[in-house]
Amino acid sequence: MTAIVPEAVDAGALPRAQSGDHDAFAEIIEQHEAMVFSLAYHFFNDRGRAEEIAQDVFLQLYRNLGMIESDAHLLFWLRQVTTRRCIDLTRRSRLKAVSLEDAGELRSIERHSDAFLDRRLRAFIEQLPDIQRAVVTLRYQEDLDPSDICRIVDLPVNTVKSHLHRALQSLRRKLGERP
Amino acid sequence: MNLDNDLKRAMRRESPPAGFAERVMQRCGAADSAAAAEVGGPTRRRPIWWRAAAASVTLAVVLGGYAVHRQREGERAREQVLRAMSIASEKVAYAQQQVRDIGSH
Repeated sequence: MTAIVPEAVDAGALPRAQSGDHDAFAEIIEQHEAMVFSLAYHFFNDRGRAEEIAQDVFLQLYRNLGMIESDAHLLFWLRQVTTRRCIDLTRRSRLKAVSLEDAGELRSIERHSDAFLDRRLRAFIEQLPDIQRAVVTLRYQEDLDPSDICRIVDLPVNTVKSHLHRALQSLRRKLGERP
Repeated sequence: MNLDNDLKRAMRRESPPAGFAERVMQRCGAADSAAAAEVGGPTRRRPIWWRAAAASVTLAVVLGGYAVHRQREGERAREQVLRAMSIASEKVAYAQQQVRDIGSH
């Protein structure tokens, strides 16, 4: 599987930004904003919160720009910091994940369209435990393999596979499919 | 229904609200200004060695002052004791003189 890589990038943006060029840093933001924003959005299913988190991540990048070694490292760093920030925020605010079995009112809703199914899926994903949410988001938004995801969430690859498997089982059950 | 495909579609990347990059750049500018004010402003922090040296000098001055104060107090107490002994000695001599005078009559 091929992971999503950034679109055509101005190869010199990172070194220019590191030397203090603000326009180059703005280019980096524009290049990665959809990825960072979407990771947070799919984690919390809340656009306002996603923007807040994405802004914080880029501000943190601005302060730590000197430690970024390459464009590939930048992409990894952004994915890791965004994912960890989402997980930390969930744990800090003690937003207890509701089990999918408790979210029964959504089960009866029938599929009418792709857009409706998308909303249902995002609502179900929001109710997954935080690590499962992160793994599913990285797997399906970023198209990453478990071997890539395990480096971002700092867990063994088999644990990542197990989280992914359990998350998909839960989603299938909620959607009324056979696992 | 293919869950993999449905998830990929539901979780495709979306753009943040318009003006996102500008808002981030504004926060970066504000962070720069705050950092510059901390470095160059009147409340700038001095190096740790400078603060350690200043603390040592202050401690030495306070301890030295206290030692001088104790020494002066000691001297004053010694003078008072000597004066008291001198007075007592005079009284004893006077009493002895009185006793001798009574004995001689």
